[in-house]
Amino acid sequence: MLWQLLANGFVNGCLFALTAFGFALIYNTTRIFHIAHGAIYTAAAYLCYVFLVQLNWSMPLAIALALFLTGLLGALTELLVYAPLERRGASLLVALLSSLGLYIALVNLIAMIFGNETKVLRPGVEATYHFGSVILTRIQLAQVISALILLPSLLIFLRLTEWGKKIRALRDNPTLTEVMGINTRAVRLFVFSLGSILAGTTAILSALDIGMDPHVGMPALLTAAVALIIGGVGTFEGAIVGALFLGILQSLVIWQVSARWTDAITFGLLIFFLLFRPQGLLGQRRRLEEVMA
Amino acid sequence: MNEITIECHNLTKTFGGLRAVDDVSVTFEAGKVTALIGPNGAGKTTLFHLISGALRPDNGRIFYRGRRIDGLPPWRVAQMGIGRLFQDVRVFGKLSALDNVRVAFRKQIGENPLWSVIRRPLVNREEQTLTQEARRWLTFVGLIELENALAEDLSYGQQKLLAIARLLAAGADVFLLDEPTAGVNPEMVRSLLALIRRLAEEGKTVVVIEHNMNVVMEIADWCFFMDEGQIVAFGLPDEVLGDRTVKAAYLGI
Amino acid sequence: MNYLWHILVMINIYIILALSLNLVAGYTGLLSLCHAAFYGIGAYATTLLMMKAGWGFFPSLFIAILLTAALSLIIAVPSLRFKGDYFVLATLGFQIIIFVILYNWVSLTRGPYGIPGIPIPKVCGIEMSTVFRYFLFSGVIASICGLLLWMLKASPFGRVLKAIREDEIAAAALGKNVPLLKMAAFTIAAAFAAVPGALFAGYMRYIDPTSFTLMESVFVISILIIGGAGSFIGPIVGAAFMVILPEALRFLHIPDAIAANMRQIIYGLLLIILMRYRPQGLFGEYGFE
Repeated sequence: MLWQLLANGFVNGCLFALTAFGFALIYNTTRIFHIAHGAIYTAAAYLCYVFLVQLNWSMPLAIALALFLTGLLGALTELLVYAPLERRGASLLVALLSSLGLYIALVNLIAMIFGNETKVLRPGVEATYHFGSVILTRIQLAQVISALILLPSLLIFLRLTEWGKKIRALRDNPTLTEVMGINTRAVRLFVFSLGSILAGTTAILSALDIGMDPHVGMPALLTAAVALIIGGVGTFEGAIVGALFLGILQSLVIWQVSARWTDAITFGLLIFFLLFRPQGLLGQRRRLEEVMA
Repeated sequence: MNEITIECHNLTKTFGGLRAVDDVSVTFEAGKVTALIGPNGAGKTTLFHLISGALRPDNGRIFYRGRRIDGLPPWRVAQMGIGRLFQDVRVFGKLSALDNVRVAFRKQIGENPLWSVIRRPLVNREEQTLTQEARRWLTFVGLIELENALAEDLSYGQQKLLAIARLLAAGADVFLLDEPTAGVNPEMVRSLLALIRRLAEEGKTVVVIEHNMNVVMEIADWCFFMDEGQIVAFGLPDEVLGDRTVKAAYLGI
Repeated sequence: MNYLWHILVMINIYIILALSLNLVAGYTGLLSLCHAAFYGIGAYATTLLMMKAGWGFFPSLFIAILLTAALSLIIAVPSLRFKGDYFVLATLGFQIIIFVILYNWVSLTRGPYGIPGIPIPKVCGIEMSTVFRYFLFSGVIASICGLLLWMLKASPFGRVLKAIREDEIAAAALGKNVPLLKMAAFTIAAAFAAVPGALFAGYMRYIDPTSFTLMESVFVISILIIGGAGSFIGPIVGAAFMVILPEALRFLHIPDAIAANMRQIIYGLLLIILMRYRPQGLFGEYGFE
């Protein structure tokens, strides 16, 4: 029983990690609390629905196109909503509120078009695989494998490639990065696209498993944000660690307490960290001065 | 002999690998204008941060009139009488000039939410007195005509005068002025300097961070030169400014 | 006619919510996302005291206000250590925690089943049993709350809160006890939010947790942003606007299912547009710049 729970927790953690990484890409570099990330997450699942279920295209094509459009959507968000605010020198709170507005508008647009009921991307029962006493469905395996492939690749990308360095430079020192001639606007567009694609990947993987409705985005976003804070704002590894931690913790809570209290525990944990270790597990104290009152 | 009001003993503050303030011991006296000079990044503003409580020293102690103040939150230090003029002024933009000064008065009954509702008549009377006082200070710094203007609409120099009026209203005993003349046009600089001298004459402790050597020569009674976090020279202004190492440090940037 | 009184009752409720949130968000500059939680605690506390302890409306309301204020202190202490995003996130966290508690502590709150049969408030023995009477009742209470909040805002207390909003470092440098003042603003706002909670409970005579969600907090924030934060008239206009808008949509014969979504789309777009072009809203003095 415990092993099954831990396995489920790990699988969920992998999914959280993908979205959290996407959120971290955006938050660490732009400091924007991109609530609309949750809406883009939802949009990806529904785009896949249109291609896969309504237009009956093949799975690889549907997913690829959905992800491509999701990345585009993310870039558009930066271009049309955040960049103009940044040019004006508006505060991050203004960006947060705009993001909130975007979330509300987009999610309700989706609900208006597709309805509020849960939709399934693929009917039928899943094949299962046995690992000792643990049973995982095929889609759960796909989720884990995706995370295991994508996340290390992304970490390597950030550390070794040119663009990765630009992203980290922007995170560390936005003004200096600008001065050094790096096209910060391009970097921002890039992180928004990539972050959105990651969110979309998770959304589609999750929808293939349990289906989706227009409101799945908010819990996904909040989990990602909490994961990042617990793991350590400003880090990328922290997002992954925080996400895995949350995934496993939630499973344990379901086991020991009840599924109904998972949200309270998640946010209780957030408050705990904010109180006693605001820099998160892997973060640095220095960054705190930016956010302490 | 003037009274020593601020004593700093062996102050150190490090950021990452950088020693912004390195084992600094200084004292400041009432009734005098003390200048704190040195190249950019020497640690002068950091020293102000430490005294005003915005930063905690890693090492060392600070005393104000015999009471230990390092580690206290900034509002406590300010309540004790240490006032600060910031390099970037920091007026309350959307408040009028008059309100900027009125908010500065200490121990206002009206700031207690309970009294502001229950003891309204008393609060109103306090407000009347405050407003008169505030107008006096605005006149003192020459801003009375602009009492209803929003602080954010004032010129930089006017905002500086407003910030000083605020400090006067707050009844500060110690004035930590960070580059008071920077960005201010020449005629206003003249009034500002006269004001600063008057503060000292009235027994206040005035410490001024300045880059303008003419200003230092004109108003300072005593001078500290800081470089790379340490006090490198001190004495009468013309002594310090004539010192060879000081000249080298300044010109060598 | 009843329809009109009903709208006005809801406007009265949202006016109190908006004016109280204005104290903490518009005046002190703290974007709180847990206002609906206080609204909900007020509703539930008043209801439970009326139904389980058999008290009248006003005594129950009084205790509910104290309880809400006390709980807000617990939330204030960790949250107010931070500014900007982190403060928002902390209040968001509390909003969700309170919701989960209301939803799952079934033995106390009956969870998702809600509490029906809430007694009608009585004033001097007269039951507020018609919509028109409730409109007068809520109107008087809203006016009293409005007056008190106006007195707070027009006082030196309001002024020092604005100073903190403009520049809390400068305010601290003048000797103002910034942490205490922020806490006072937060707690007072929470205490006032309990009042419309009680009004709502007495009016609907049924409450369940779904009226007090994160989205409800967002709704009150939207009122503030659209009407305008920092001023006094802004929240009042905003409340009227936001309550009337869905009703106006109904008049355009848009089917109910779509109307709900369309309304939200309009709110969302309004938020984006206002933040971009007019952060101070229609009548605000302070835009979250």
